[in-house]
Amino acid sequence: MIKSNTIRESTSRKVFRAFNTIFLTFVCLIFIIPIWNVLITSVAKDIDVMGSDYLLVPRSFTLQNYWRVLNSGYMGAFKNSLKVAVLGTIFSMLITVPMGFALSQKHLLGRSIIMKAIVFTMVFDVGIMPFYIVVRSLGLINKTAAIIIPVGLSTFNLIILKNYMGSIPVSLLESAKLDGCNDATILLKIVLPLSVSILAAVILFYFVSYWNRYFEVIMFINDSRKYTLQVVLRSLMFESDDSLGGGQYVYNNLKMAVMVLGMLPVLIIYPFVQKHFVSGIMLGGVKG
Amino acid sequence: MSSKIPMRRKKTTFLTNLRNQKYLLLMLMPGVIWYLLFKYLPLLGLSLGFTDYGFRAKVSFVGLDNFKRLLTSTIFWNAFRNTLIISLANIIFYFPTPLIVALLINELKSVKTKRFIQFLIYIPYFFSWVVVGSIFVNLLSPSTGLVNSVITKFGGKPIYFMASVKHFRPVLITSYIWRQMGYGAVIYVASLTTVQPELYEAATIDGAGHWGRLWHVTLPAIRSTIVTMLLLNLSHVLLIFEQVLVMYNAAVYGVADVLQTYVFREGVLSGDLGYSIAVGMFTSVISLTLVLSTNKFSSRFLEEPIL
Repeated sequence: MIKSNTIRESTSRKVFRAFNTIFLTFVCLIFIIPIWNVLITSVAKDIDVMGSDYLLVPRSFTLQNYWRVLNSGYMGAFKNSLKVAVLGTIFSMLITVPMGFALSQKHLLGRSIIMKAIVFTMVFDVGIMPFYIVVRSLGLINKTAAIIIPVGLSTFNLIILKNYMGSIPVSLLESAKLDGCNDATILLKIVLPLSVSILAAVILFYFVSYWNRYFEVIMFINDSRKYTLQVVLRSLMFESDDSLGGGQYVYNNLKMAVMVLGMLPVLIIYPFVQKHFVSGIMLGGVKG
Repeated sequence: MSSKIPMRRKKTTFLTNLRNQKYLLLMLMPGVIWYLLFKYLPLLGLSLGFTDYGFRAKVSFVGLDNFKRLLTSTIFWNAFRNTLIISLANIIFYFPTPLIVALLINELKSVKTKRFIQFLIYIPYFFSWVVVGSIFVNLLSPSTGLVNSVITKFGGKPIYFMASVKHFRPVLITSYIWRQMGYGAVIYVASLTTVQPELYEAATIDGAGHWGRLWHVTLPAIRSTIVTMLLLNLSHVLLIFEQVLVMYNAAVYGVADVLQTYVFREGVLSGDLGYSIAVGMFTSVISLTLVLSTNKFSSRFLEEPIL
């Protein structure tokens, strides 16, 4: 009896495992195929993408498309994106790091009130328009600063940093204080060197978030010379923009090259910081 | 007299504290100013929803006129209906997906495979909506897209997904799942590793089969993660915006226009600020109510308030 029971159990487990493997392989393909298609099309020759059958098997390899894209009007948008992402990340780190450190110190005056006020902003979304009016009355419309300063701080990043810095042993900071360090030198000399990996993750997180911004750009920027890559990519893909081919049909390989540029930082950065994104996103940290 | 002394002492300790923490407080300043400017000042801006701000130089109080106007606007009700339909579809189709996938990943034996799958499905979460939208446009293109080439291979006619009233909402939900699923799955997998193995052993001894262990051990053990994810999902489900803004077009306005895109068009593009703030406020309040009532529900029935 018992024997037959275990055998039946194990066959049903086998069936389940086989099903599970097939299902998860299918899930993986759903994620691989669309990206694969973009990548191979972006390095295909014009002649190959003229038909409609350039889908999964690459037939040619050329970097010409990227060269053509970067020598067109798209170079300006690419530079704008890079500028916003670099300046934005610097600005964000300059306000997030000190604030995160201050909040990680449990004796800080008014700490719990400030934390509550911060968490409240995560729960209650005021909406787009009041935010738009504030930015407009600060005179930021059409300025690059409008797509940096108003979105410069991410509560999520702040809390990751705060929690990490809060986990550094207090005794370490206190002995430094006895040696005559003040809070500023403690941050620079002790806390920052101990937080290198989390700082790297936050920097990359900010960089990608600036690179990806879309609606803030179309909301605050009217001058098309200041448009970022996401904005021109959107009009290329959704409005069949013709600026690349001089009023002609834009080949899919050129479109895909622009798209790869649009996801470039993620493709480069992601493999290095993936594990931080996993540990950082546990929401449990928010309450602390 | 006796009551004055402790008060004075308290004051001096507060001042010395202030002096001792001057660097910390200075470090706090830029961030606090940022929060006041961009998170709390807009809160005051909500009061403009009761005015006719936007068109005239002189702003005057109009009471509830903006709200009366939105209640009689057919475009508003259409956007409201679309938001509810898309949100509901989102909860039904998106919400369980990451949990199911995470449970299946958890059944795998090889740690390497587990890691690889998580690594892979988490990638799209870092793509912008423009990139994700573009990937779908490419995939669904009637002339060069993969999906339509499969359809035509089986003898069907190519479908213009992005311009089809019938197909646009499913495209929205599918692309939402494609981008967000990995994020949820990774969180669930992480929380599944915290379930104590002894609990499974005990359940097996008690005669629980595979489904029994899933139902009586695994799910209860990660229920606070599930509720947190639900709350997180509910808190922005009605505020769906950027995805729709990127992906919709004039052909599908009727089924795709949501409250936030309506606010955006009325406010930023048409300049009707007072009215659009009123619409936005309506959305935010409903959204907040949804979150708070779920939180209350979770604290009563699961004894675990999340907020």
